[in-house]
Amino acid sequence: MAWQKQILRVNLSTGSCDIEPLNMEWAEAYLGSRGLGSKYLYEEMDPATDALSAENKIIFATGPLTGTMASTGGRYTVVTKGALTGAIACSNSGGKFGAELKMAGYDLLIIEGVSAKPVYLHIEDDMVELCDASEIWGKTVWQTEDLLAAKYRDPLMRFAGIGQAGESLCRFACVVNDKHRAAGRSGVGAVMGSKNLKTIAVRGTKGVHAKDPKAFYKIVNDVNARMTDRDEMSRDGTLAMIDVTNGFGSLPTNNNRSVRFEGANKLNPEAMHSPNENGHTNIVTNGACFACTIGCGRICKIDPKHFSVKDRPEYHGASGGLEYETAYALGSACGVDDIDAATFAGFLCNEYGMDPISLGGTIAAAMELYDIGAIDDSITGGIKLEFGSAEALCQIAELTGKGEGFGADIAMGSKRLCEKYGHPDLSMTVKGQEFAAYDGRSMQGMGLAYATSNRGACHLRADPYGHDFETTEIEGKAKIVAESQRDVAFLDSSGLCLFPGGCGWGLEDYRTLVDAACESDWNEARMLETGERIWVLEKLFNLKAGLGKKDDTLPKRILEEPADVGTGKGLVCRLDEMLPEYYQLNGWDAEGVPTAATLKRLNLN
Amino acid sequence: MDISVTLFGGLRHFLPAGSSFNKCTIKLDDGGHLDELLELLPIPARKKYIVIINDEKVSREAYADITVHSDDEIVLLPPIKGG
Repeated sequence: MAWQKQILRVNLSTGSCDIEPLNMEWAEAYLGSRGLGSKYLYEEMDPATDALSAENKIIFATGPLTGTMASTGGRYTVVTKGALTGAIACSNSGGKFGAELKMAGYDLLIIEGVSAKPVYLHIEDDMVELCDASEIWGKTVWQTEDLLAAKYRDPLMRFAGIGQAGESLCRFACVVNDKHRAAGRSGVGAVMGSKNLKTIAVRGTKGVHAKDPKAFYKIVNDVNARMTDRDEMSRDGTLAMIDVTNGFGSLPTNNNRSVRFEGANKLNPEAMHSPNENGHTNIVTNGACFACTIGCGRICKIDPKHFSVKDRPEYHGASGGLEYETAYALGSACGVDDIDAATFAGFLCNEYGMDPISLGGTIAAAMELYDIGAIDDSITGGIKLEFGSAEALCQIAELTGKGEGFGADIAMGSKRLCEKYGHPDLSMTVKGQEFAAYDGRSMQGMGLAYATSNRGACHLRADPYGHDFETTEIEGKAKIVAESQRDVAFLDSSGLCLFPGGCGWGLEDYRTLVDAACESDWNEARMLETGERIWVLEKLFNLKAGLGKKDDTLPKRILEEPADVGTGKGLVCRLDEMLPEYYQLNGWDAEGVPTAATLKRLNLN
Repeated sequence: MDISVTLFGGLRHFLPAGSSFNKCTIKLDDGGHLDELLELLPIPARKKYIVIINDEKVSREAYADITVHSDDEIVLLPPIKGG
């Protein structure tokens, strides 16, 4: 019952908008959101197709718990072939858009083809139409939402769309919903842009129903009572991590030249909560997504006197501020310790529709290219692209959003940029996707998780944190990474957020909620098998797309240059020792291909 | 002797009154051990953390055997995740 049991299929080439029944056999096997979206993509599209071609599809997938009263039940996933990676992309977002799409009556929205001219999709329950987007094409995400909100005059209408970065096919363009939540990774916004689809405006009034509402209500409250450690997340958000990784020695700094950043104390929760010399405090309040009882979001203001926004009052309001990943990417990765500059660059990411992790990772690579003389002022347009330059960070971020000047090079992403300028080893990427905020030398499990992530380097495909902070020895890490990748695949497919897992919930709490909301028996064995089936299906997509063992690797720096300080000082990532065990534990052969027995066990034949 | 201890992440909310943002000073007898120092911190027993001294992680089994020195850099990290 938690499924709406119908999908909306929109063909941009023909202009058709059709409501179809959900394939319940697939829903029973892949649950929803990430898993179910991946199943539809795998079955309907040749994985070898070009990501920016009309043949690629982009799927907005909700989970069975999306739109319910379960805490954090507002998640949705954008599934497509990634423009940045050429691998499967499944980019997850919060906010309120996902719940609204579900309440309009759809488990999945499948977009296919390409429109001859810019359009946007307008959904109000069963009323679906493609509308001319000529007045909003070329506008930012924020301008687009304001214009359409004024047009429809419905304060509960939600939007998910692209800015100029997606329009200009920036390889790491993202889909932004609710102005500052984003399906950020892998270039899903570029796919949307390639289809001439500007935004999706949705309003739903149908509600979402659990199979036994009274029982579900009780279980939601029981499970919420077990979320005992959320206060710290509400106060400091994910930014609390910056002190932990910096203290441990796993905070990537200056394009991973170091694992500790001297300026971390200028980007941490204390800095965010403390008035600066002008009496300005960065944080305004915290923010929460649909049905969330944590509220990890940072709502922040830039100091109006800061150079980045001086005389630009349009940036003086409050919006989504620094979280840990953005503080790393737009801070330590570039050697920048200016919290207002990093906040401004983050605002630009939301406004123009760019993934801040990939933007920061690519600027960091460009800074190293500049540092070694591989590029100079004639390439950067006169910008002194030095590590630590807050001014350069802000200038380049804005140019990239607009696709102008050297920003057009940055928009290629780190891998293509470093290849263009003759130093591919300086790209801190896996499968073309920039590292998240953990170094794989002092956190060996994270190194393995990055290398084997189906969507490219990612900190949210596995859960090696606890063991990595316990020990740098590699024994046991392959098992932890392999098993947690399956667990996360299940959680991502439920429609809930991963963060309750850091606030007191265990895997069993998620399973209990799924079981209470959905038809049939969702026991532990089925949960584990479903997670593994999703993980292997994504792997199969990548194999058919042409990826293989050669892509399950890390940059030379992480494999050969020892960490300079911290608990992992002197270590490189011992990936070669962990990878064979990881493949074996998954039931894959030595080349990382699932064996026939594994496929049969998971009904993936 | 005075020992400076840094508590990162949410642990800082359990610092003794009068501490700075995430640092406190604990008085410990000369020759005192790490387990004695940790007992003086008002961190609830349910809170898990790891201890790093001078960039070296310390195993729990060794807490009672490690002598603390006044110039040691002692850091407590909570096992948080995500980002």
